[in-house]
Amino acid sequence: MSKSNSDFSVVGKRIPKLDAAQKAMGRAEYIQDIKLPGMLYGRILYSKYAHANIVKIDTSKAVALSGVHAVLTGEDVPEKMKMGFIKDNPPIKKGKVCSFRDEVAAVAAISPEIAKKALDLIEIEYEEQIGIFDPEKAMEKDSPLVHGHLKSNVLKMPWDIHYGDVEKAEKESAFVVEDRFTTQWVTHCCLGTSGAIALFDANDNLTIHTNTQIPSLAQKDFLESLKAMGLENKRVRVIKPIIGGGFGSKLDTYAYEHIAILLAHKCRKPVKIAFDRVEEFKATSTRQPTIIYIKQGCDKNGKLTFRDMRMVLDNGAHTSWGATTPSVMLMPISSLYRVENVKYVAKCVYTNNTYSQAMRGYGNPQATFAIESSMDMLAEKAGIDRIEIRRINRNQSGDETPQGLKITTCGLEECIDAVEKELKFDGKNEKGVGTGIASLIHVGGGARIYGSDGCGAILKMDDYGKVDVFTGGTDMGQGLDNIIAQIVAEELGLLAEDINVVHSDTDICPWDVGAHASRSTFVAGNAALGAAKKVKQKIQKFASKLFDVPAEKIEFKDKLVFVPGDQEKSMPLGKLLRKAHFSPGGTMLMAEYFYDPDNQNMGKELKGNMSMTYSFGAHGAKVKVDEETGKVEVLEYVAAHDVGRAINPLLLEGQVYGGVVMGLGYALTEEVTVKDGEIMNANFRDYKLFTAKDAVKIKAPIIETDDKDGPFGAKGIGEPGCVPTAPAIANAIYDAVGVRIKDLPITPEKVLVALKKKND
Amino acid sequence: MKAFKYLSPKTVEEAIAFHGQHSETSKFIGGGTDVIVKLKEGWMEPDFLISLKKIEEMSELHKNEATQELSIGAMVTHATLEKSLMIQNDYPIIYDAVSNIGSLQVRNVGTIGGNLINAVPSADGAIPLIALDGVALLHGPDGERSCDVKDIFVAPYKTILKPGEILKKIAIPPQASNTGSAYIKFGRRAAMELPLIGIGVLLTLDETKEICIKARICLGVAAPVPMRAFGAEKLLVGKKINEEILIEAGKIAADESKVRDSVRGKAWHRKEMIRVHVRRIGLKCLEIIKNNS
Amino acid sequence: MATNISFILNGDEISYEVKDHWTLSHLLREEMGLIGTKEGCGNGECGACTVIVDKLAVNSCLYLAIEVEGKIVETIEGLASTSGALHPIQQSFVKNGGIQCGFCSPGMIMSSKALLDKNPDANHEEIKHALAGNICRCTGYVQILESVEAVKNMGGQNE
Repeated sequence: MSKSNSDFSVVGKRIPKLDAAQKAMGRAEYIQDIKLPGMLYGRILYSKYAHANIVKIDTSKAVALSGVHAVLTGEDVPEKMKMGFIKDNPPIKKGKVCSFRDEVAAVAAISPEIAKKALDLIEIEYEEQIGIFDPEKAMEKDSPLVHGHLKSNVLKMPWDIHYGDVEKAEKESAFVVEDRFTTQWVTHCCLGTSGAIALFDANDNLTIHTNTQIPSLAQKDFLESLKAMGLENKRVRVIKPIIGGGFGSKLDTYAYEHIAILLAHKCRKPVKIAFDRVEEFKATSTRQPTIIYIKQGCDKNGKLTFRDMRMVLDNGAHTSWGATTPSVMLMPISSLYRVENVKYVAKCVYTNNTYSQAMRGYGNPQATFAIESSMDMLAEKAGIDRIEIRRINRNQSGDETPQGLKITTCGLEECIDAVEKELKFDGKNEKGVGTGIASLIHVGGGARIYGSDGCGAILKMDDYGKVDVFTGGTDMGQGLDNIIAQIVAEELGLLAEDINVVHSDTDICPWDVGAHASRSTFVAGNAALGAAKKVKQKIQKFASKLFDVPAEKIEFKDKLVFVPGDQEKSMPLGKLLRKAHFSPGGTMLMAEYFYDPDNQNMGKELKGNMSMTYSFGAHGAKVKVDEETGKVEVLEYVAAHDVGRAINPLLLEGQVYGGVVMGLGYALTEEVTVKDGEIMNANFRDYKLFTAKDAVKIKAPIIETDDKDGPFGAKGIGEPGCVPTAPAIANAIYDAVGVRIKDLPITPEKVLVALKKKND
Repeated sequence: MKAFKYLSPKTVEEAIAFHGQHSETSKFIGGGTDVIVKLKEGWMEPDFLISLKKIEEMSELHKNEATQELSIGAMVTHATLEKSLMIQNDYPIIYDAVSNIGSLQVRNVGTIGGNLINAVPSADGAIPLIALDGVALLHGPDGERSCDVKDIFVAPYKTILKPGEILKKIAIPPQASNTGSAYIKFGRRAAMELPLIGIGVLLTLDETKEICIKARICLGVAAPVPMRAFGAEKLLVGKKINEEILIEAGKIAADESKVRDSVRGKAWHRKEMIRVHVRRIGLKCLEIIKNNS
Repeated sequence: MATNISFILNGDEISYEVKDHWTLSHLLREEMGLIGTKEGCGNGECGACTVIVDKLAVNSCLYLAIEVEGKIVETIEGLASTSGALHPIQQSFVKNGGIQCGFCSPGMIMSSKALLDKNPDANHEEIKHALAGNICRCTGYVQILESVEAVKNMGGQNE
């Protein structure tokens, strides 16, 4: 029988973030705040052109500047030092640049000011080449090539998928809709900008303090860089300081990290590279922009018959994880609502634009924008209510989707109900006001996109009943430390504050694939739970001798170890631990556990149950459209999610609210404006994040489905908040004024153009 | 930021004298919210920075009860104006404009004079002062002179101020009764915006409160410098003001504007926003007049 | 070009030789080691560096250090009591989920303090207006606004 929240003492409680007081006092140390003795300051020079040959570089004046310790160009980078998941990107380019963010030189100096001055003294002669900025044009046969050594701008990627029989299903459909949608570049805008400090010890072992969401994979990347530098068999220690936001931006290693390593090695001193805001905009990665063609149909009763989608992704000049987002887009395409026949073709195309990376949702917001906009169009064509068509086709527990996703628990219907309860969907709003709904599916139980989807945990009890948990998982502000503390505390009958969670230091913490795919609560949570269970068994074994009862009779609550119903057989946990420690042949209790979920990599047929469970949600928006200006105001917003179990509703709501507002920015205001490869709005004035004054009333109903595989039933919820936001808004705008905007962001200009077209 | 010597004169004369000593290598600084950005970016590299913060008369805001003239020292901050009940009640157009410049942190430091002489096309502060027929008092090595606020601007980032000349204050002549004024900044967000277009309207009606005897329609970002839509103003004067005529005025004002496409917004949309908001803000002015009587 | 200035920092009288071109955030962070004041953009567009000068919230990245001569400066480090107890605004941010990554938090809390010191009963719209210059990417502002609202109900918010 599934447990209810009243069965728990720590899980399900609104426990404030354990590190919040430290942060509230201004005592949290971010990379910007760390200074090491003798530290130098590195800085990077970027290309002046989107596409050019480097004819000549003269660094002599920079080298001669007093205070400069090292100047690097592409010539100084070992041949095999490359970044990105297909290793196509050296940290400093040699001979040729393919985008404005291409690194062409770097310096280390005794102050940031001197480093900056040194960059100004580097003279580079370029020979400009024709740039290609439109991915669809870049696909054409006679298009100039971004990388001359390749035969085509189209990347070799496997995204050509067909489940069932789409052609047949289309013929048999009663209603079919077809359209084209486009999404823009947006970027993470972490308040804490990027940075790293690299230093080598006397034996050439590297320590790097860096803003990362993937300490273990970053360690691997840096080991490869060391190898390329001729430093084999050396050690790399990755330490992540407190970071000012992640949102996916730190899922790959960046040139600045590898450059800091090169400079530190050359100077034999710690070297820090810290981005300013302009650099953060220009030299970190974006969410993948997409051109999406969608066709889907239903039978006369509104049951979906097929979904056929084709996408072109602007890959930019180099390849980071952005090119793999179709693997996640496939999830909503194949599995948001029941649809048997699915086709999906995606092409990633090199251009001379900036390159993309992971960003909250990992492709899902783009795909869901097209799918859920199209669902409303289909409902209208079929004459079916837009809530009803979603109910008819909703996913349900026990489903296996064409992609092979196994839906263990599904609260989608309850989420739709919750949205309908909060907002009016009867079309009887006042003029210019409308409501919209959109649903989501997302991985909620890890995501196997790498050889291992695992996470380790080491748990150490002290002599006083307190616990140190060393987790592979990474906290970046989302509150993973709380979640782990609450899970371990629940299991051991302690309070969250009794648990110290240590994370993000590869010398101390076990391996983890990274803080991505909304997986940390589920995977790192299960790892910590596994370790807690192991240590619990050890305590039970010891107490069983002490109390002379079978081990399974021993329970843990309120910091006591006891046998229910027997008041004599009870002891504070700390006392019991001391007894275990300070007896002849004593022992200190520790446990380790590595949890690797039983999920599947997609095979050659691009099928497989990538996650142990899936999170669902439905969002509803009520908007007011000013028909004279095109301006959209969000009046109310409801974001209901099936989260399995809320380990901490306070933090969970924080994830949802934050996700929703990021999604609203995606829908309405945010866009990295790129002109011929150059970013034109690299500041917070022109890159329009929502401000507190734009804040929206948001309700976040929590649906608990108690997933059998989740820690205490929990699923992941980090990303879903921003997944269906844009289509919920687009659908509400359509409801309000009858125009459908298919190109994000939905600016007043676009709304006004559409309104004029409609009224003509 | 390049090192400089910070000078802090206590009078305008002293400030001008300092400038005279280092004319090629010195710059004035007011609140600093624009100047410090320029210093950081290296767009400005003075050896001497002459602060106007200690010049008391430049920070004065007062209304002469006898003449009803409003005097705004150039160093009066946006926040001071925003919080002033006198401004809120008697000069709503100023309140509308200054209460949404940048952030509160910027408004607490940034000054109305700085907003004017920075001379960006998007300066919110200029529009109400032009609509109110503000007169700028300049003081330089050659003494004092004055000009209409609208004539300060020559081109983006360029004013008529001569080297060493300081904008000391802005004088707003008394307002006739039955006057209403309002401003709107049209932007994408509710705060932290530069206007895509800024529209300020001032209307004075005769004693019957029907016929317009004075109209000002002032536009920001509609041209390289803040502008008045004279044609639209002309249409309104002498006429009975209602929605229809304001619609017509909006059309004329939009046609008069010299809006351009930029990264921030499209020309056609800016035009459209002028058309829509001249009417809306005009109606708001009528509302204010009605409520004040 | 250095000048000796005197000012009050978090209640302490300070005399410090500053370079004329230092910003206040540079003085606090790089020279005095008060890292609680964050810099998120350096251009007055994010509010992370907000401190209070003579009761007004200002961006310390756009404020010259030399100009605090004779003034009263409050930074995040001065909020908690000497015994270490959090200021009610800090407590409220902690309790109500107003803090995630924490990078905007010191500035956000200082803006809130400047507002509530002057207007303890600030309404929702006034709070939004006062915090509009403090960008947060994590929270969507919902729990931040709740945190500030909740201070009103905590009672006795001034030390």
